[in-house]
Amino acid sequence: MTPLQIIFILVAAMTLGAGLMVVTARNLVHSALWLILALFGVAIVYVLLQAGFLAVVQVVIYIGAIAILMIFAIMLTRNIATESGPRFSENWSWALVIALVLFGTLAWMLSGWEGIAAQAPAISPRFDTVRELGLALVSPDGFVLAFEVASVLLLAALIGALVIAWDRR
Amino acid sequence: MPNDLWLSIGAILPIIVLAVWACLLLLVDLFIPAQRKGWTASLAAVGLLITLAVILSRLGQSQSGFGGMVMVDNFANFLSILLLASGLAAIALSHDYLQRTGIERGEYYVLLLFSISGMMLMGMASDLIMVFLALELLSIPLYVLAGIAVPRLNSEEAAIKYFLLGAFASGFLVYGTALVYGASGSTSIAKIVQVIQAGQHNLTLLLAGAGLILVGLGFKVAVAPFHMWTPDVYQGAPSSVTAFMAVGAKAAGFAALLRIFVLAFPVVSLDMTPVLWSVAALTMILGNFVAIAQKNIKRLLAYSSIAHAGYILMALTPYGQSNVSADSVASALFYLVAYALTNFAAWAVVIALEQADERGLELSDYAGLGRKQPALAAAMTVAMLSFTGVPPTLGFVGKFFLFRTVIEGGFIGLALIGVLTSLVSAYYYLRVVVIMYMQEGEPVVRRDGWLYATAFVSSIGVVALSIFAGPLIALASRAILNLF
Repeated sequence: MTPLQIIFILVAAMTLGAGLMVVTARNLVHSALWLILALFGVAIVYVLLQAGFLAVVQVVIYIGAIAILMIFAIMLTRNIATESGPRFSENWSWALVIALVLFGTLAWMLSGWEGIAAQAPAISPRFDTVRELGLALVSPDGFVLAFEVASVLLLAALIGALVIAWDRR
Repeated sequence: MPNDLWLSIGAILPIIVLAVWACLLLLVDLFIPAQRKGWTASLAAVGLLITLAVILSRLGQSQSGFGGMVMVDNFANFLSILLLASGLAAIALSHDYLQRTGIERGEYYVLLLFSISGMMLMGMASDLIMVFLALELLSIPLYVLAGIAVPRLNSEEAAIKYFLLGAFASGFLVYGTALVYGASGSTSIAKIVQVIQAGQHNLTLLLAGAGLILVGLGFKVAVAPFHMWTPDVYQGAPSSVTAFMAVGAKAAGFAALLRIFVLAFPVVSLDMTPVLWSVAALTMILGNFVAIAQKNIKRLLAYSSIAHAGYILMALTPYGQSNVSADSVASALFYLVAYALTNFAAWAVVIALEQADERGLELSDYAGLGRKQPALAAAMTVAMLSFTGVPPTLGFVGKFFLFRTVIEGGFIGLALIGVLTSLVSAYYYLRVVVIMYMQEGEPVVRRDGWLYATAFVSSIGVVALSIFAGPLIALASRAILNLF
């Protein structure tokens, strides 16, 4: 086992554990804090995949903006951070079985694939990830349409959020 | 600017027109006083008509754009026209209904336009990333529209249920996309096909990806066992939204399923066909049998929409047989048209009878409609007969076409389940007709020109198009999926 693999296993375990705590923690603020840890784990996975820029973006946007926004929203909403009622539906054991079966099937399918043990090819140090990413986002043969549609999507979501949340009195 | 960029922009011009119109409408709506939101509705309808004109002016061309991100072929144009027409019907159903239930707001129409542009994009998307983005663009406005009647509790419930399960479904779709990317090294359908033809794909991963994509889109089109949200959402959302959602989300979801499966996944058809077979059979059986127990017309139509999703999915079952797959596409498209027309006729009558505080939605409220409002009752009867699949209605022609495709594919058992469940469905559809004509009652009916017009145009269309079905079938048969 290479050091990289050991690091990956540790990070993956941390991310999964934190993700589990997000849904099981009794206090919503604690959930949000665990979420930050889980998102940080994902950022480390990006680093392991040699996608340093995406790791920075992950930290800045998901932890720096979204998670903090969630904590603010929780703290500004009355009576939401305290415990109220059961957090799991009574069918949680069924959900667990289905999730485990699904995971087992996917893991079994993937274990039969020769690529599972392949090493990631090293990226040449002259390869500029940020430049390539930027070009891909705006080149007509790349993802410019996806980029534009995503902005329309965000506009629609923004209008939708206002429609739902606007106080009509 | 390079020439092919202009060509690409030209290919998606209808969507650009619609999205820009929606943005402008948002601004114009600011200056329209609250009592005159009818102007916003008319302007939204004008936007749809302009988009329709743009599409009609360039019919017949087939063009891919943005390096294979979108494919504007006959299939996409067929769906775009269906979706724009559905949007017009939805606006006709909405205006008076929203006004009298006190939930009319200009943003309603803006969100409707955004949702339609997402649906049109879904029909064109030939890259899995575009499929995902289009799905979100169509879904997010629908989540909001389902909840636009806040603070009415069941509208909120509908919105939150739809949102949570929709987000869950998107997760499946993204996971499936990731696995397909892992299997083939690309998200573009054309490139995936190239890789598969060269034999460089990984079959296991591709199969897992195809399965997860089916689950993700199965949630959107409401096939069993991913239908649980449908009755609550259809019941809780404002009726005009439900009428549109039932057609639009289904048409878009099936568009993506058809394009992805027929073009990219014939290689896994050996494993996927039994899955599709059982999902279609389960959906038809469950939708039709549970509908029998419903007392509320909106829930009844919700289960009916689940059942019809099963019928359409049935056409997809033989997608892997290259001599049948063209018929699969054609019969699914044809049935979507039949379903859309029938659906709008039925919902127009439902909206005409709906009262404030959600009264007038029980089946018993339809008693006496045949005597008091013979025209509306006739429209409803036509819709119910078409849902059942009785000639001379479009539902009959559509089902005939579907069953023929399934039998051509060699799935006689599945076709048999389809016929038998249609017989079962006759029980609850015809019960509505019986209540309207045979029982005494004093139904309260809202008089509104646009509502009546939608009911009559749709129901006359259902009958007339079934008698002269040839051109429509020819159109559906020409709506072939293009790869390049």
